[in-house]
Amino acid sequence: MSRAAAGVALLILASPAAPAQGGVTVTVGPQFALASYREVAAGLRYQGTGFGGALSARYRRLSAEAGVVRVTLDPATGSAATSGFTATEVDAWVAYDLAPYASVEAGLIRRTADPEFDAQSVGAVRIGARSFYEIGPGATVLFRANYLAAPKFSGGGHAGFSIDLGLGLDVRLAGRLHGTAGYTFQRISRKTNPGGTGEIDAPMQGTVARLGVGVAF
Amino acid sequence: MTRHLALALLMGFAAPAAGRAQAAQNATLRRAQQAYDNLEYRQVVSLAQAALRERLTGPERARTYELLGFTYGALDSILKAVDAFKQVVLIDPERQLDPNRVSPKAYSAFDVALRQVLLVRQLRIDSTSFVGGRGAVPIRFTVTQPARVVTRAIGGGSYVIDSGAWNGQVNLSWPVRLANGDPVPAGNYTVVVEARLGQNAFSASQPIRVSHGSVDTLPSLTSLPGYQYLPETEVPPQSWRPLGLAFLYTGGALVGTLGLESSSLGSSSKRELAVVGGAALVTGFVMTLRKPAPRPAAANILYNRLLRDQIARRNQDIAKENVARRQQVQVGVVPLPKPSGAAPR
Repeated sequence: MSRAAAGVALLILASPAAPAQGGVTVTVGPQFALASYREVAAGLRYQGTGFGGALSARYRRLSAEAGVVRVTLDPATGSAATSGFTATEVDAWVAYDLAPYASVEAGLIRRTADPEFDAQSVGAVRIGARSFYEIGPGATVLFRANYLAAPKFSGGGHAGFSIDLGLGLDVRLAGRLHGTAGYTFQRISRKTNPGGTGEIDAPMQGTVARLGVGVAF
Repeated sequence: MTRHLALALLMGFAAPAAGRAQAAQNATLRRAQQAYDNLEYRQVVSLAQAALRERLTGPERARTYELLGFTYGALDSILKAVDAFKQVVLIDPERQLDPNRVSPKAYSAFDVALRQVLLVRQLRIDSTSFVGGRGAVPIRFTVTQPARVVTRAIGGGSYVIDSGAWNGQVNLSWPVRLANGDPVPAGNYTVVVEARLGQNAFSASQPIRVSHGSVDTLPSLTSLPGYQYLPETEVPPQSWRPLGLAFLYTGGALVGTLGLESSSLGSSSKRELAVVGGAALVTGFVMTLRKPAPRPAAANILYNRLLRDQIARRNQDIAKENVARRQQVQVGVVPLPKPSGAAPR
């Protein structure tokens, strides 16, 4: 049974990719993630790994992406943190191509921490643009910049400046099988006023690298 | 071997004599011919006149008069020669003399005789085929005197082809159409050329067959001669562009990361960027080494579109033309062998 399933899977992966013109192309696959996270002060830093998945779809000039990753973050070497936590991040985008190499996009981000009070949970709306270029047969690089608007934090506060930068790579390895890699840098200049004692900076900064494979349909 | 050669030579010399004997069955005519060959002109005249009093076939009679014409020419009796040649052309209007083989006196006498007799000669109708209404049958003949000439086609009905005053070489075109524009019905016809000058009249005829057929339709075009479709994609030359683009995008991410790092949080980990950026750079390098992907060739696509449009337009024209052709008739005209020659009246 398992051999048969493996054979079918191999057949699907090796079969020619569906033509992108005129139809919907969907790519879905698992991802491995590396992450680092800092919050409030330089001493409070975490590093970890995790797993996730990504789904992308394209129909003519419209495209959509969604990703979820669950990372276990432990205090990094020299960190003042005493315990780690698990962060789950959900990202979603909808984009419209303005040119063969550029599109505008909008979406959302939601990251939650478990245990809940070990780190800030955050939710925001993404507004931005991305540039992409096919550097070779089946290989596309992508750079995106998103402004994170109207962020909400589990610990309260607000952020005057929040940005998310991304670098992406999609390579068709064979037939329907794609290799994907993504890098995200996130900076949120959170300010909070704990106990009404005055507003203080409580910035958040994180980087995530995602490596995975995908199957295109 | 020697005997065979001698026999062949004997047959070669004997053949003209045998042929002449076959051509002239009448003994008196044969004797007149022999006398002419021996340059005994006085004897030719008496023998030929004797032959004319005998029962002769048409060709024999024409040959007898011809001998008389040549003989009178040789004897400088031009008027008599002309009279003799008149009789020749009245019996055989198509008779021609070769100016390279007869004496100038005889030839000029023959020419004068032709002009003094009303004849319609050398009626020729060529085989032809054309779409009804778009062509004509060429009809040629020669009238030896100025005369009123009526040309008709007589078959299922009588159709006047031409009526006019002509002299000399005449070239007519017959569209093979009725008054209402329809083609003349298929069938056998006789083209009769009748010349009239005062009391004299002469006619010549040529049978023809008129056939109808369907007009060939034109095939649709799949290409234009001399023009070929061009490939709509082209493979760009190999370059460092993929690696350069990978550097550009990775550099953008690096610069953005460095520039946006919070000073209070310190420098962030570059491990993640190194992994993904490294993958992008390696991919760029591999793509630099690989054959570039074919990309659309805009000029060729435009050219092919123009070519397709042109072929489509031509095919539309061809379709319209074929609709018209299916309503047309291919008219074929073929001359038939003459059952009899011209008939003087």
